[in-house]
Amino acid sequence: MVTREDVENIALLSKLFVPEEELDGLTESMQEIINFADAINNAPAGDEGFDNINNLSNVFREDEVIESYPSEEILKNAPEQAEDHFLVRNRE
Amino acid sequence: MGCEAVKYELVSGFETHIELSTKTKIFCGCTTQFGGDPNTHCCPVCIGLPGTLPVLNREVVRFAIKAGLAVHGKIADIAKMDRKNYCYPDLSKAYQISQLYAPLIIGGYVELSNGRKIRLHHIHIEEDAGKLIHRHGDTYVDYNRGGVPLIEIVSEPDIRSIDEAKEYVERLQQVMRWVGVSDCKMQEGSMRCDVNISVRPEGTEAFGTRTEIKNMNSITNIARAMEYEYDRQVDLIESGGKVVQETLRFDDVTGTTSSMRSKEDAHDYRYFRDPDLVTINVPRDEVEALRAEMPELPADKCRRYIEEYSIPEKDAQLLTKYRRISEYFDEAIDGVKSPKTVSNFIIGQMFRRTETESDKELFAVPTTPAQLNELVKLLDSGKIRNNLAKSTLEKMLDSGKGATDFISESDMGGVDDAALLELCKNAVDSNPKAVEDFKNGKEKAIKALVGNVMKNSRGKADAMAAEAKIKELIG
Repeated sequence: MVTREDVENIALLSKLFVPEEELDGLTESMQEIINFADAINNAPAGDEGFDNINNLSNVFREDEVIESYPSEEILKNAPEQAEDHFLVRNRE
Repeated sequence: MGCEAVKYELVSGFETHIELSTKTKIFCGCTTQFGGDPNTHCCPVCIGLPGTLPVLNREVVRFAIKAGLAVHGKIADIAKMDRKNYCYPDLSKAYQISQLYAPLIIGGYVELSNGRKIRLHHIHIEEDAGKLIHRHGDTYVDYNRGGVPLIEIVSEPDIRSIDEAKEYVERLQQVMRWVGVSDCKMQEGSMRCDVNISVRPEGTEAFGTRTEIKNMNSITNIARAMEYEYDRQVDLIESGGKVVQETLRFDDVTGTTSSMRSKEDAHDYRYFRDPDLVTINVPRDEVEALRAEMPELPADKCRRYIEEYSIPEKDAQLLTKYRRISEYFDEAIDGVKSPKTVSNFIIGQMFRRTETESDKELFAVPTTPAQLNELVKLLDSGKIRNNLAKSTLEKMLDSGKGATDFISESDMGGVDDAALLELCKNAVDSNPKAVEDFKNGKEKAIKALVGNVMKNSRGKADAMAAEAKIKELIG
């Protein structure tokens, strides 16, 4: 059972603000999502089960250097930047 | 009845992060080189842009297996990658790719010089986080280090003293450098420790509540932090308080620990299997090939030097601290009568020229092992004496030349009895003062006379024989 406290805690972990009046609705929605996941969990996967949908294992890269991106490209989507660094403002 | 003070035993376990010396990052081809201008060793994968796909570096798995073999761990058949979720600017994706449910290495141990084995719980592979610089109240982020491969070595709480803790870290450093998986430079952050520590009354079994000191980057600071934290916990308990399980930071200026996380900070990593990364079915043939390639480990080598070559334990430890020194020694002792002589030359004269730890690790002395071997063989055969060997080695180390460049044929060969007698007579005749002193009971005065013989024979005479002969002459 998903409780209001669960939703509050998830909101906290996700750094989301949830208004009091939305809590009940979200609790209900969350329960439905969990029910859906449970249904998938309980679906038969055959005797051997599977690790991933493509049954892949041991996909590796070789240890060979590939040129990195210029820092301007790397920083292009940064909300804020300074002196070639991503800048995170202190909220206080 | 007197009230006896309770003694407290320290209980500690370590989580040690070591950066692997692969050329590229764990999930992309960016270089792992230390430093570089900020955010120049980055690509969409290691800054975690949506839609990118991490692919595991094969060499990371091989290095981690080597690390596991170096500490006697069991290499798992199946290993998987998990996501560890936390929200902090050093992680661009808000999760770190790590291993929780199926780590690559299980168990193992690190043996200390007191014979105790510090058991390991497991070793897992994971990606390093970026570097944060806190300036003017803001945070500047450089992701060059983000995605550099790490192994985390998790020990059991088997450490019982600060000395054991220091040795544990030194042993890990020694063996990981030895097998070539990391340079383990604590000052550059390629080796970092989280120290778990608790106390309990001596003689009791149950563990006390532990605290964790995060991100220690020098052995000296580990010792200081543990000492402070041990005292803090004992004082707390003695005064009727309780230790609270928490994460601490050590301030190396004040030498104190303080709490890192506030209580309202929810602490749940919500680990789950990383769907981007497939299972590792550890290839057994590759594990066996790596096992076969493993060098003799420092602890085994040290034991062998003591047992086979009668090297004193302290010296054997010094010879096996760095792999290059031990390999130098191995080459230089080939066919010599006394490996201890070789060891003395290395630890004495050569160590004086390789003062720092990094000098010793490189051990780039101008004299080759073959040249030292030749010198020691001249000594073995009695062709030269110890004094001459020592002074010759100095010249060899200055110039990189071989022993025979400095020792002429005429220097070789001992001094026959008649010549020795002549030399001793000369010494006695030309040093009446020393003879007088010796006769008056000043035992040391004989050294001056022997010294004279050695000097005039250019180091060829046998000092012991000369001393006996002189005593005969004046006694």
